[in-house]
Amino acid sequence: MGDRPLADDDLVAQAKQGDTRAYGTLVEEHQTIAFRTAYLITGSAADAEDAVQEAFVKAHRALGRFRPGAPFRPWLLSIVANEARNRRRSAGRRERLALRAAEDPLSGGAVPSPEAALLDAERREELLVAVNDLREDDRLAIACRYFLGLSEEETAATLDWRRGTVKSRTSRALDRLRERLGVEV
Amino acid sequence: MTELERALLRLGDELAFPETPDLAQVVLGRIGAVPRRRWPLPSRRMLAVAFVVLLVAFGAIMAVPAARTAILDFFGLRGATVQRVETLPAVPRVPAATARALELGTPVSTPKFAGLLVPEALGAPDAVYFSPAVPGGKVSLVYEPGGGVPVSQHTGVGILVTEFRGDIEFRFVEKWVAGSTSVERLTVDGSPGLWVEGGPHFVLFRTEDGEFGEDSARLAGNTLLVERGSLLVRIEGDIDRERAVAIAESLEP
Repeated sequence: MGDRPLADDDLVAQAKQGDTRAYGTLVEEHQTIAFRTAYLITGSAADAEDAVQEAFVKAHRALGRFRPGAPFRPWLLSIVANEARNRRRSAGRRERLALRAAEDPLSGGAVPSPEAALLDAERREELLVAVNDLREDDRLAIACRYFLGLSEEETAATLDWRRGTVKSRTSRALDRLRERLGVEV
Repeated sequence: MTELERALLRLGDELAFPETPDLAQVVLGRIGAVPRRRWPLPSRRMLAVAFVVLLVAFGAIMAVPAARTAILDFFGLRGATVQRVETLPAVPRVPAATARALELGTPVSTPKFAGLLVPEALGAPDAVYFSPAVPGGKVSLVYEPGGGVPVSQHTGVGILVTEFRGDIEFRFVEKWVAGSTSVERLTVDGSPGLWVEGGPHFVLFRTEDGEFGEDSARLAGNTLLVERGSLLVRIEGDIDRERAVAIAESLEP
């Protein structure tokens, strides 16, 4: 098929025909977002790995029911999230999200503005703590929208919420973060 | 986009996500190398259920004195109960050599069992048994050790999958757990299940004469109990929860 990477639609169509290599490509392309989604829900890398592996196997089994032309990623993530929730329920715990050690501290010298203040390492840590302390639904809304970069629609599919619910929970979560951080934005 | 939202996006970039494992090979291994074998369609005859085996469960519990005093917790699925007790009754371990003959019934090639499910994750079983000893009958799929599954000291085989009619309105499997054995509720493909893990637990099957006699009792290892449609499926082996759940999820008619 030339050098152009195949679109999800093509790969899904080929996988439906029994082309396991095409499905392997889909796994490779989506495993990072799938794994991070599962990790945000389970809080455990091991559980996330299990959940994603299982989700890919299940998704393959369910390909026959996948509507042609529909976006593959949100459909996959909904299966991933379901698997992750099952594992989290069983495990009954959630670890806290952690920050990577700041490799590149903010460049000094700039005039501190409100923005700069927010981005300051200490404030980032504070923001992370505040996110970790959010109630679960709010935390997931924030994580999907801002940490994973999912659209509202994708977030709705992943978390099995209505789009309006995504909007309202995200908005509520942002309000809580503002309150907690004393940010007037 | 507000300042806070921008800060959250930046924060997302700074999160210490664990490294993504490369899953393509393992996923392809699981979807590509599963042996498929189907039995002929099971007979659709209605199962003649003899309710002479009905017995009040409480009476059965009383039949084994050691557990009489303290039933601490209760977990139920259709067709099965799990009780947490202070101590397990003293039951000799079933020697592995005789375990296969125990409780499983008669070897059959084509079980006449409506709605029989086979775990595709395990492929075709090494042996199949049918027993009419419980209401609605009981099918046991026996898998020899291998593929990372050790021999179970409790059954003498690798994995034992047992299927019952779970829609019959009384309990015919009892499990008693004690001490460090944990019981977790979970869902498998949206159906409720229980995972019993840890020390051995005591499993009793109701017999034809309706009692949970000590003759039909034995110690069991890690077990997943899950409802699938009208069936209650029991998966036992020296395997972890994820493996058991994967097996249950692969159950197909």
